[in-house]
Amino acid sequence: MLARLTPLWYTVRPHWRWPIRFLIALAVISALAPAPPRAPLGPPQVVETVKPHVCTHTRLIDEVEDWKIQRTLQMVREMGADTIVEFFPWAYIEIAEDVYSWASADRLVNYARNQGLHIIARMGLVPHWARRDVPEEYATLNTLPPESYDDFAEFVALFAERYAGVINHIIIWNEPNLAFEWGYQQVDPAGYAALLQAVYARAHAANPEVVILAAPLAPTLEPPGSAHGLNDLLYLEALYEAGAAPYFDALAVHTYGFTEPPEAEPGFDRLNFRRAELLREIMERHGDAAKAVYITETGWNDHPRWTKAVRPSQRAAYTVDALRLAETEWPWLEKMCLWAFRYPVDTLNYPDHFTLVTVDFQPKPIYYAVQAYARGWQQTESLWLPAPAS
Amino acid sequence: MVARARVITRRQMLILVAALLGLLVLALRWNALQQPPPTTHDLFPYGELRVGIDASYPPFANTGPDGLYGLEVDLAVALAERLGIPVRFVNLGYDGLYDALRVDQVDVLISMLLIDPARRDDVLYTRPYFNAGLVLVSRADSGINSMDALPGRALAYEFGSPADAEARRWLRRVLPFETRPYELGRYALDAVRLEQADAALVDAITAQLYLNEHPDWDATLHYVTDTWYAAATRADRGPTWEAINQALEALAQDGTLDRIIDRWL
Repeated sequence: MLARLTPLWYTVRPHWRWPIRFLIALAVISALAPAPPRAPLGPPQVVETVKPHVCTHTRLIDEVEDWKIQRTLQMVREMGADTIVEFFPWAYIEIAEDVYSWASADRLVNYARNQGLHIIARMGLVPHWARRDVPEEYATLNTLPPESYDDFAEFVALFAERYAGVINHIIIWNEPNLAFEWGYQQVDPAGYAALLQAVYARAHAANPEVVILAAPLAPTLEPPGSAHGLNDLLYLEALYEAGAAPYFDALAVHTYGFTEPPEAEPGFDRLNFRRAELLREIMERHGDAAKAVYITETGWNDHPRWTKAVRPSQRAAYTVDALRLAETEWPWLEKMCLWAFRYPVDTLNYPDHFTLVTVDFQPKPIYYAVQAYARGWQQTESLWLPAPAS
Repeated sequence: MVARARVITRRQMLILVAALLGLLVLALRWNALQQPPPTTHDLFPYGELRVGIDASYPPFANTGPDGLYGLEVDLAVALAERLGIPVRFVNLGYDGLYDALRVDQVDVLISMLLIDPARRDDVLYTRPYFNAGLVLVSRADSGINSMDALPGRALAYEFGSPADAEARRWLRRVLPFETRPYELGRYALDAVRLEQADAALVDAITAQLYLNEHPDWDATLHYVTDTWYAAATRADRGPTWEAINQALEALAQDGTLDRIIDRWL
C-alpha cells in the first residue's frame, strides 16, 4: 500500500506537501485524546455526621463519567449527609419489554455504597413500549396507561429484589398532582392510588424490608379542575379517600421556602417550608401517624432576579435554620433532602441557583454552612461583613 | 516506457476550486431566486407576534395590576411594531418556555435566555440584546480596569453569589487580593463608594440600578464575564428567525434598544 502511495506522493507539487503533512499530523494528534480519569472504588468509607436527617438529592443517572459520580458522592459524604435521593428511570433500565440494562444503576449503587451512603430511589419515566396504544402526539415520558400499571409494578419488584439490603426505600412516581407529571392528563388521585396498590405487594414480596414511599406532591395552589394540577393538600386528602393508605409505608414530601423564612406560618393558601406540617396533619387525621415522612426535596433558590428567590446569604441561613427546625420540632421526620446537590450541566436559568456545588465541583458557601451543621462544627466567624457604615 | 504521472498545477487547482465554488453559489442563489419572499402571513401565521415570556424576573419582565411590564415587554412591543403586527404575550414558567416553542404555542421566546449550545438543534438564537455578566465597579480615578489590577487591593462582592465564585477563581490566578463578602450586592457597591473597598464585583444589572440611584458617584464599569441574553425561535422556522433578527438589529441600529435599556436600567 505504501509502495503504491509513494509515487503518488511525488506527483504532488512540493508547495502542497507541507500543508498535507500538517493536516495528517493534526489528525494524528487529535486522535491521541487523553484517557478519561479512572475512578477505582478504593476502601469503603464511612459518613461522619451528627445530624442523620441531613440528606441531599443528587442528579447522577445522567452523568457519563465515573469520576464525576465518585467525586459527587465523596463531596456528599464530606458534607455530612448519609443519604441521597436519586432517580432511577424505568425507561433507562427496561429498554424494551423484559429487556434490562442495569449497568448505569449498578455503577451508581456501587459508588454510593463505597462512600457509605444510603439511597432513596425514585421511580418513574415510562419506556416507549409501556405507553401502549396512547397516540404519540398525546404521550409524554410520564404517560402511563392503567393497563401498564402491572408492568411498572413488575419493574419495581425486580428493582427492589436486585438492590435488597442496599436500597430499601423506593418512591413511587413524582408529583402526580401536576398534569405535566401525570402525562399531561387531568390529575387523578384514584388513579395514583391504583398504581400504589399495583406496586405495593409485589415490591414487599421481592424485598420484605422495603419501605414504599407515596409520591411527593408538588407544592401548588392549583384549584380543583385546573388543567395544570391540584393543590397538594387537596390531593393528599383525595388520595386517602381513594383508599391508598394500606399501599404505602411512608410519605415523601416536597416543600420549598420560596421567599419566606423557615419559621413562617403555614396556611392552605400559602407556599412555604412549613407546609409539610399541613400534609402531616392530613396523615394524622387519617390514622397514619405511625408512618414517617421523608422530605425528598426542599430548599431555597438564590437567583439574582427571580421573584421566588432570596439572597444567597438568606438561603444559607434559612437552610440551616430549617434543618434545625426539622430536627427539633418534627419527630415524625426521617430525612430532609436538599434539592439539589449538583447538576451534570448548567440549565442556564434559576434552577442552577438551587445547587450546593457548581457543575465544576466548586462548593458554594451554602455547602460549607450545611457541612458545619451536619458535622457539628462550630461556626465561629460571621460569613459576611456588616453593611458599610456611611 | 515509463508512464508519466499527470501533474495538476497550482493554477489548474485554483481554477477548479473557484469553478466548483461558483457553481455551488449559483445553485444556492438559483434556488432562492425561484422562491418568492415569504409574506408576513408565512412568517407569523396567526397574524401576531406570540411572545413566550416568564414574567417573574424584574426589571426584565414582571406582572402588575395593569399586566406585564419590564424591559423585555417593551422590547417585544418594539419588535412587533417593527414587524408591523400586534404582539401577544404568553406568560409561562421557565420550565415550560422551550416546550411552548416546540409545540408552536409561541413564535419567539424573549425571557432572559442565555444562548445554550445544547439546544442548537431545536432552537435558533437571535443576536444578543443585553449583557448581564459580572462587572468590576470602581471609582473612576482608581485606575482599576480589570481583575489583573486587584492584587494588593480589596474586592467587595455579595456572599454566595456568582461574583463570590468568580473572585475565588481569580484568587487562584493572580497575586492575592483582599476579599470582602457582604450580605447584599448593594452593600458591596456601598463599600466602594464609601472607600471601604477598592472595587466591587457584581452583575451588570445590580451595578446599573445602583448607579442610577447614585448619579453623582463617578464610577467606571468593566465587564469581567459575559452573560448574553438573546431571543429564540424554532430551528425549523428560519425565515421567522431572520425577520425577528433583522428587526432586532434595526432596533439596535436606530438606538431604540438602548433607549429601552436606559428606561429600565
